[in-house]
Amino acid sequence: MREELVWLDDESARRVSAWQASLEFVGALGLLLFASGRTLLQGRVEGRETVHQMAFIGAASAPIVALTSAFTGAVVTLYSASLLTQAGGGSFVGGAISLAMTRELAPILTGIMVTARCGSAIAAQLGTMKITEQIDALRALAVSPIQYLVIPRVLAALIMFPLLCMIANFAGVLGGWIVANAFGITLNSYLQSIRLLTEPFDLIGGLIKTLAFALIVTLVSCQQGLGTRGGAAGVGHATTRAVVLSMVLIFAANYFLADLLFANR
Amino acid sequence: MNETPALETRQLVYAVENKTILKGIDLRVEYGEVLGIMGASGSGKTTLLKCLCGLIKPTAGEVWVEGVNIAPLSERERMPLRLRLGIVFQYAALFDFLTVYQNVAFGLERHRRLSQKQIREIVRERLAWVGLEGIENLYPSQLSGGMRKRVGLARALAMDPHIVLFDEPTSGLDPVNAYQIDRLITRLNRELNLTAVVVSHDVTSLMRTSDRIVMVDEGQIIAAGAPADIRASEHPKVQAFLRMASAEAL
Ligand SMILES: Nc1ncnc2c1ncn2[C@@H]1O[C@H](COP(=O)(O)OP(=O)(O)O)[C@@H](O)[C@H]1O
Ligand SMILES: [Mg+2]
Repeated sequence: MREELVWLDDESARRVSAWQASLEFVGALGLLLFASGRTLLQGRVEGRETVHQMAFIGAASAPIVALTSAFTGAVVTLYSASLLTQAGGGSFVGGAISLAMTRELAPILTGIMVTARCGSAIAAQLGTMKITEQIDALRALAVSPIQYLVIPRVLAALIMFPLLCMIANFAGVLGGWIVANAFGITLNSYLQSIRLLTEPFDLIGGLIKTLAFALIVTLVSCQQGLGTRGGAAGVGHATTRAVVLSMVLIFAANYFLADLLFANR
Repeated sequence: MNETPALETRQLVYAVENKTILKGIDLRVEYGEVLGIMGASGSGKTTLLKCLCGLIKPTAGEVWVEGVNIAPLSERERMPLRLRLGIVFQYAALFDFLTVYQNVAFGLERHRRLSQKQIREIVRERLAWVGLEGIENLYPSQLSGGMRKRVGLARALAMDPHIVLFDEPTSGLDPVNAYQIDRLITRLNRELNLTAVVVSHDVTSLMRTSDRIVMVDEGQIIAAGAPADIRASEHPKVQAFLRMASAEAL
């Protein structure tokens, strides 16, 4: 098991096919997941770093997650309210929006906003540390980059994503309410239909999704950062790839998780 | 002198996919000496240094650190052995998100059972050794290149290594700062009996600090001996390198 493959010994400018590159990416990601799990099971957790990352990933992302969710809740209500009120189903608007938020929109928005804000920052920071030999300096001081850099970010994301998702749910439903109100739907019937149509599992399932997204964003961004090669341009590439790959994997995981969690409901 | 050498490599080979960077290096570093490794840019000096401290795994051959062959060991097994060596990186590689104090204290906080007060004392002392005082709360970005290298040295010295590896300690420095770094290496060697391996393309600096010099060219050792022997060497590549270096100094 060669843990150091995560940060690559060989930096030769090789030509590889897209197919081989994808295989290498999946391999490196698996390796990082495995090494992180093992380090977590036996090593100590860097408490201070983890709290630091929780503030960065969680607290600092809360406003932007709330804002985007509120607008998303509002626009979904805009369509659904005009449709449903025409069809005489105005009392279902609240339920429709809360179902959409809890199951789909809040988890996805959380994943995307944190990827944009933090995934890129993680890849850029770790990439810079790689090309300026700070990763080597860590290892020279007998501190594992996985223990000091990767685990705190993964843990922080696992803790903060569900909280951010709750904020997104709340903001989305609130944004929805503001628009629904303009369509003449009363608060009472709005809340009533939320209670009628959404179950606790819709919320729980959505939160479970965010745990998967948290793992995807942090592991992909850390892997891209630690695997950076080739100077400042390399850091740029790593950052772009971290964001793109995280997003693609989040959407793919979202489909399979939806199938797994909600298909039979 | 000790029976086992501080460092030794036997037929050390390091290859990446399309290139062999080190082609069978045999090197022996005795305790208490300053060994200079001289060579042009791209000759494989940094790679050799990283093999010596186990940051990269050789493709073939042996690397003995204080009597242990680290070549076949895994990253985890090599980890604690690395603390026996201090490394000063070419551009210092200070952790840029931590203060000078946190940089120097980094290893101590993780590997030694010491109180905050003891750590503070060690950090202050190591910074004083390298001639820096009262800069504990600055960030690396606020320091000059020479100061950064000295903080990097203080960070390496914090763990009390027997051996310190220097990657281009004078590169990028003005002659005054370069001279100060050289003096520092010599002083640490004399006063603490520190074993030092200095990798550099700076001939003047190496001649000043080293007890012995090996010249590396294209991943091979082409000459070895005391500074005077190297200067007297008749190997055409050594001669060419020295001529270029003295031309540059003019
Ligand atoms: N990790 C690596 N992957 C691929 N090539 C490398 C790697 N490290 C160094 N090289 C190449 O090996 C040669 C020697 O590099 P290096 O040891 O850094 O030389 P020096 O420190 O003497 O300038 C250079 O040509 C460099 O491009
Ligand atoms: Mg070098």
